[in-house]
Amino acid sequence: MAKRKNDVQVPAEESDLLVIRPLGAGQEVGRSCIMLEFKGKKIMLDCGIHPGLSGMDALPFVDLIEADQIDLLLISHFHLDHCGALPWFLQKTTFKGRCFMTHATKAIYRWLLSDYIKVSNISTDQMLYTEADLEASMEKIEVINFHEEKDVGGVRFWAYNAGHVLGAAMFMIEIAGVKVLYTGDFSRQEDRHLMAAEIPTVRPDILITESTYGTHIHEKREDRESRFTGLIHEIVNRGGRCLIPVFALGRAQELLLILDEYWSLHPELHEIPIYYASSLAQKCMAVYQTYINAMNDKIRRQIAINNPFIFKHISSLKGIDQFEDVGPCVIMASPGMMQSGLSRELFEAWCTDPKNGCIIAGYCVEGTLAKHVLSEPEDITSMAGQKLPMKLSVDYISFSAHTDYQQTSEFIRLLKPPHVVLVHGEANEMNRLKAALIREYEHDPDTQIRIYNPRNTAAVELHFKGEKTAKVMGSLAFEKPVEGQIISGVLVKRNFKYQIVAPSDISKYTDMTVSSVTQRMGIHYSGNLQTLQAVLSHVSPDVEVIESDKGLKTFRLFSAIDVIVDKTLVTLEWAADSVNDMFADAVLSAILKCESLQGSRTIVLPTTVDHARFKECLIEMLQDMFGDDAVPKMFKGDKFIVTVDGKRANIDLTALEVECPEDVGFQQVVQTAVLKLYQSLAPKAEKVK
Amino acid sequence: MTSIIKFCALSGALDDSPHSYLLKVDDFTFLLDCGWDEKCSEGFIHELKKHVNKIDAVLLSYPDQLHLGALPYAVGKLGLTCPVYATVPVYKMGQMFMYDWYQSKDNMEDFDLFTLDDVDNSFDKVVQLKYSQSVPLKGKGQGLIITPLPAGHMLGGTVWKIVKDGEEDIIYAVDYNHKKERHLNGCELEKIQRPSLLITDAYNTLYAQPRRRSRDEKLMTNILQTLRGGGNVLVAVDTAGRVLELAHMLEQLWRNQESGLRAYSLALLNNVAYNVNEFAKSQIEWMSDKLMKSFEGARNNPFGFKYLQLCHTLPEVLRIAGSKVVLSSCPDLECGFARDLFALWCSDARNSIILTSRSGQGTLGQRLHDQRNLKSVTLELKQRVKLEGAELEEFRRKEREKNILSGIKIKDQTAAESSESEDEVKKGRHDIVVRSDDKTTGAVQHFFKSSKKHPTMFPYFEDKIKFDEYGEIIRPEDYVIAESEDHEMADYSVEKPKWEEEPEAECPTKCISTTTTLAINASIMHIDFEGRSDGESIIKLIESMKPKRTIVVRGSSESCQALQNLCLSTGSSDNKAFIARKGETIDATIESHIYQVRLKDSLLSSLSFGKAKDAEVAWIDARLTYQVNLTDLRDLDDKENNSLRKEQAPLLEPLEPKDIPGHETSYINELKLSDFKQVLVRNGISSEFIGGVLWCCNGNVALRRNESGRVTLEGCISDDYYRVRELLYEQYAII
Repeated sequence: MAKRKNDVQVPAEESDLLVIRPLGAGQEVGRSCIMLEFKGKKIMLDCGIHPGLSGMDALPFVDLIEADQIDLLLISHFHLDHCGALPWFLQKTTFKGRCFMTHATKAIYRWLLSDYIKVSNISTDQMLYTEADLEASMEKIEVINFHEEKDVGGVRFWAYNAGHVLGAAMFMIEIAGVKVLYTGDFSRQEDRHLMAAEIPTVRPDILITESTYGTHIHEKREDRESRFTGLIHEIVNRGGRCLIPVFALGRAQELLLILDEYWSLHPELHEIPIYYASSLAQKCMAVYQTYINAMNDKIRRQIAINNPFIFKHISSLKGIDQFEDVGPCVIMASPGMMQSGLSRELFEAWCTDPKNGCIIAGYCVEGTLAKHVLSEPEDITSMAGQKLPMKLSVDYISFSAHTDYQQTSEFIRLLKPPHVVLVHGEANEMNRLKAALIREYEHDPDTQIRIYNPRNTAAVELHFKGEKTAKVMGSLAFEKPVEGQIISGVLVKRNFKYQIVAPSDISKYTDMTVSSVTQRMGIHYSGNLQTLQAVLSHVSPDVEVIESDKGLKTFRLFSAIDVIVDKTLVTLEWAADSVNDMFADAVLSAILKCESLQGSRTIVLPTTVDHARFKECLIEMLQDMFGDDAVPKMFKGDKFIVTVDGKRANIDLTALEVECPEDVGFQQVVQTAVLKLYQSLAPKAEKVK
Repeated sequence: MTSIIKFCALSGALDDSPHSYLLKVDDFTFLLDCGWDEKCSEGFIHELKKHVNKIDAVLLSYPDQLHLGALPYAVGKLGLTCPVYATVPVYKMGQMFMYDWYQSKDNMEDFDLFTLDDVDNSFDKVVQLKYSQSVPLKGKGQGLIITPLPAGHMLGGTVWKIVKDGEEDIIYAVDYNHKKERHLNGCELEKIQRPSLLITDAYNTLYAQPRRRSRDEKLMTNILQTLRGGGNVLVAVDTAGRVLELAHMLEQLWRNQESGLRAYSLALLNNVAYNVNEFAKSQIEWMSDKLMKSFEGARNNPFGFKYLQLCHTLPEVLRIAGSKVVLSSCPDLECGFARDLFALWCSDARNSIILTSRSGQGTLGQRLHDQRNLKSVTLELKQRVKLEGAELEEFRRKEREKNILSGIKIKDQTAAESSESEDEVKKGRHDIVVRSDDKTTGAVQHFFKSSKKHPTMFPYFEDKIKFDEYGEIIRPEDYVIAESEDHEMADYSVEKPKWEEEPEAECPTKCISTTTTLAINASIMHIDFEGRSDGESIIKLIESMKPKRTIVVRGSSESCQALQNLCLSTGSSDNKAFIARKGETIDATIESHIYQVRLKDSLLSSLSFGKAKDAEVAWIDARLTYQVNLTDLRDLDDKENNSLRKEQAPLLEPLEPKDIPGHETSYINELKLSDFKQVLVRNGISSEFIGGVLWCCNGNVALRRNESGRVTLEGCISDDYYRVRELLYEQYAII
């Protein structure tokens, strides 16, 4: 039986197959979206868009899944390539599961995407969603605090700090005992306001990790910061203006903290203004000032004295028209890659003066001005189409808070997950990382780590033979378990956990209740009592006669069915269950038969089994079962032989025993048949001994 | 697997003394809360001292004195060393409570029961947790998992869940509030079902609260009347707990233009007002859904106050002109600025004093609460004053003598030492800095430096000179060289030296105490802002929770009795309920019979599951065996603990069909007739309720349900009967 089931199709919740399938961010950076399926549970991790594409093209390959089957959607952080498609997915698809992110992520998500809608309204007319959709999506997003455990239909999950940006989370997901850690984007390096990604205290079975920087190793934090502040100091000292194009949220806040601190340590710089030009960032500053608890210890301690996100030396700049360009200054402006907007305008205005400088502080995509100027061209083309000589100094200092090879390798070494799935990395980087990691564990016989780097839509299939254990509780477990003991009870399966309890204990150990159903059925009966009693005693092996207090005659049949006779109304009353229902049907048909027999004759019941008749019936029955040739036509005495396919079964009619040493199965079939036949013929008193 | 659970109340049993209980689960001893009463009574400390070495962990539920007041003493003086578990806000606000309490006491008397260092040391032991974060304990506590759950009442308030070996769940829930409030969500006790042991208080079992609306209106009218009558309102609240609810509510009232309150001032006065406000601002994620949504949507921090001024000293408040409402600690009026203000204001009939909570035996707050028509009160007023004149001389002389005697010659050090004994509080010594500069009290804080550079001169605004046909309009007040202005100036200068000299903290001080009788003419009102569940709701909550064992703590003997009876009457007959008595040990052990078995795949696949609620159920018949067969061996991981576990747990394997014993059918699920009616409607069968009986098919078939949940199906033999029966069976998981 079990085998046949396997052949057909194992129901999803019983299967031991775990599938990880990137719908985005598989051998690419952008539109993170990874599907995790196990035990019939479907979980989507992140739902981003591709920043380089627009409209529907920017979406992950969500057409490969049924949105309404997804139970859970987890968003790791607020960057567009991780949550950009979320309003679309929540509002425009049939998704009806639950969606979680951290408090800070949710607060910033609202404003970041609103900004994205505004900006892209200019470039594309086929927007995926509107401001109204975004607003409505807020209702459907639930929040989760770091370390807080949630349970959605048996999927248990919780979040760890991931570093990277404010509110960034790594999710540990546990389904039926198998743990999967999804890192999102993470950084193991503590910086000025964020903590390093935490090391989970439990070991995951599968690690899904980002691989943006592949095998690169970052410059040391101190070096890079001193290079950064040194450069700025030099530019403003030579009387130049310093432009830092940044993405509005995330790393910009770190740079602001660095600058504010540097300025407060250098009083000679106080005359030189620092501006931060981003209305989005200003909107979200309140979030940074509030969710201090998602930051590192230093900030949390400092909050007791003053709020570090209230800057002393940095002024906000609403637009270029507000800005008086007189002498040296430092401006941080978005967008980070100078595609358009304020950072582009300033760059074009300043690029002709060699005193000025530009510091590129983040990851740049091919085809943007920021990437172009890094190659130090002679001149650039302005937005208006003019050629401008580029004389200002350009430097690149990466402040990107992604894990590098050193950090990733250490992270894996500490966790030792048996399976590692790489996502969120360009194909070459990913391959290099995979090769490097494999090399690292090549000569280590103690650690078996398998590394996968699936393409988009390609599934990684893993098998987890989860051991199923159950708890035997309550009266069933009063005594210690012994070998060979038979346990009968109710198995309760909930959230991949099993309990075995006695039916009487159900309400004690679960929130379920055992109820009972009583049935009472009325039938018209016009015959006399004796006939009825006679018929009933024919049906049931025992008939108990009870006189009820109202003087009504009650027969109890099968010790379960009460037949109450009240003049012409017969009422059947019994506690419903499958056996009793069947008995009741039998009694019912007997009563109906009795009604139809009305008056013809009184029925006399046999008191003993007529042996000759039993033999006759037996021969007939066995002939029906095994064919005419299998059974002798006539026989004497109490011994009887059935022959089928050369196998002989001896039947002892007095003891009602069957013997067939060659084939036990055959013996059983015959035995059952003989017993059942005897029981059906035997009157109530004569039961099988 | 049965765990031995023992419980002993150190305080908070059969009276309204603070919470502090010992709970022993097998070998591991928890201290549940560590409260101290307003008077810091010694009796409880003696009790605690006896047990302090045995305690393995402390669980805190709220940040106020009632729940953690004795912690600094226990750590500083009794040498408590174990870890303390609390949520992040309880940690932060708890510190605020203790700082404020210490300062308030120290402002009155030489307080030496604990020092600020003790406070810091005790909070260094706190492991900060988030709601629903499970913490598995190590060492002796192996197998124990503790989880804080939301409790309402105060920011970060906790109902503790302690689970042993995944089976015994012990719930410690005191002072919870199930109602949603302005800044807090309610507790989530309704999600807890049939805990093995519930430890809860009976403080409010027989207590009925006024409706929130009428309560708020009462506060509002009282404030308005007093302010319009030219009086001041003192609202006695705690330091960092319930004050947030009131502050938020009053701020909203002030923001409402129609309230007519803008002409008056609103102030929060306690030693740590600035920090309390900052912490509240940074803990939005612990507050109510509504506040969180409004923050996500509009980004305005609900605790970025526009009208509420934060004050840290009495003069600061007194300097605020006009009528004002002052929120001040402590609620019991035993110490702190609230007591000072009470003494100042209680004799003036225009003023009004609002008590927001009940307080402990023997406190001023309690006397005012119990005796509504108290006409006068005799108070011992204590104050710390600076030494002056002859006394100062005397002190200096003594110090000098002392120094000469001990041979110390360095002058500076003498000053430092003298202050050590008398004046423990020095600003800046602790990481919490009390800021009293007025700049921070301004409600609007800019994230960035203002882009407009202010000229470095005194701001001067040139008024536009107005002319009429007779020339420039003369403002008579410009030409008054009257005394009034002089007077004002003088007033200020008199006041100034008194209070602004504060930075000179080295100044030796002494504590004086005067006993005065104060006439109470101000209106005294008790408006309940305690934020605890009321009696009726507590009963409902417990009825739905159906705890197997209950221990009733803290409350009058009548209310404890009432709660005990309630717990005995709900749920099954083997429930037990105890009333805790001080120093008596209660054995709340629950015999549980549990063992683990492994299930064979072939066994599972042979079962047919039925749905019931959120679970699936099936009847199982299986044989238990310890034999490990070869296929299982192959699957064994090389990990040792794994294989060990496998050896221990017996395996269940399916029976041969002939061995299967029969069993009685169980109907799992509870049927509601009203739900069943919907099912009938969906299947096109008409039905109606008459006298609690559901009549289907024009009265051919009747369905009754008695109290115990037994359903009776009744009717004449007919097709309808069988159709209804079939539908009825579908409602159950029949196994």
